[in-house]
Amino acid sequence: MKVFESSCTFDYPWRSVSVANWRKYCAWNTQSTHVVAVDTLSRSVDVPTGILRTERLITCKQNVPRWLMKLVGSEVSYVREVSEVDPINQTVVMRSTNLTGSSLLSVQETVIYAPHPEAPMDKTLFTQDAQITAYGAFTRLCNTIEDWSVERFGQNAQKGRIGFEAVLEMSKKAFGDMKHDRVEEARTR
Amino acid sequence: MSASLAPECSEAKERYDTCFINWYSEKYLRGQTKPSKECEELFEIYKTCLNKALKEKGIYDMIEEARKTGPEIRATSKR
Repeated sequence: MKVFESSCTFDYPWRSVSVANWRKYCAWNTQSTHVVAVDTLSRSVDVPTGILRTERLITCKQNVPRWLMKLVGSEVSYVREVSEVDPINQTVVMRSTNLTGSSLLSVQETVIYAPHPEAPMDKTLFTQDAQITAYGAFTRLCNTIEDWSVERFGQNAQKGRIGFEAVLEMSKKAFGDMKHDRVEEARTR
Repeated sequence: MSASLAPECSEAKERYDTCFINWYSEKYLRGQTKPSKECEELFEIYKTCLNKALKEKGIYDMIEEARKTGPEIRATSKR
């Protein structure tokens, strides 16, 4: 098993980031081209806590090297993601797992968006980790698959961050000054 | 918004997504967490189209299988 970890700060309040997160793979994100579709499978609000639970299916299409293609059989892969938004504690937690190729490779990812501890009103801390495990009788082959997957995961994560920055910036332009909106909202509480 | 894996569902998805994100930013994050009836109706239309496509593509069973094993964030008390 290999572990990929990364974190970064977005200079936008949590509220803005949590809204834009639903638009992460829209046309404004020109980086994450491996994500070709995002479909919502189910969604519910937990009554006492107000936690919003969403189940989505992410369709990915990416170039894989020929040796790996022979093993996985397809360029298209599906990921199931379950997310929870906690509006009181201001967290978004998203867990995902691959549905395709899972007998060969397991990718378990957790992403958390939370107010940045040093600037909770203005900044959002993004943390991401993934556990990547290849299954097979040949240790060397497993290691090769895991190494390739960790590297690709890192590349996609980097693209995801840059792409999401663009979505945040465009959202701010298109939907007004969300910071102002938040301040006003805090006053009326 | 992002596309649907089934092009024939994209229009229904777009209508639902727009409704959802408005509800999310205007109501939900402002403390009105009660789901929107309008959005739920649009979701039903989108979901009918999507589930048909998922079954045709053979993805539906894969999802059902995955639901048994996770990932679940925590056991919610709902239902």
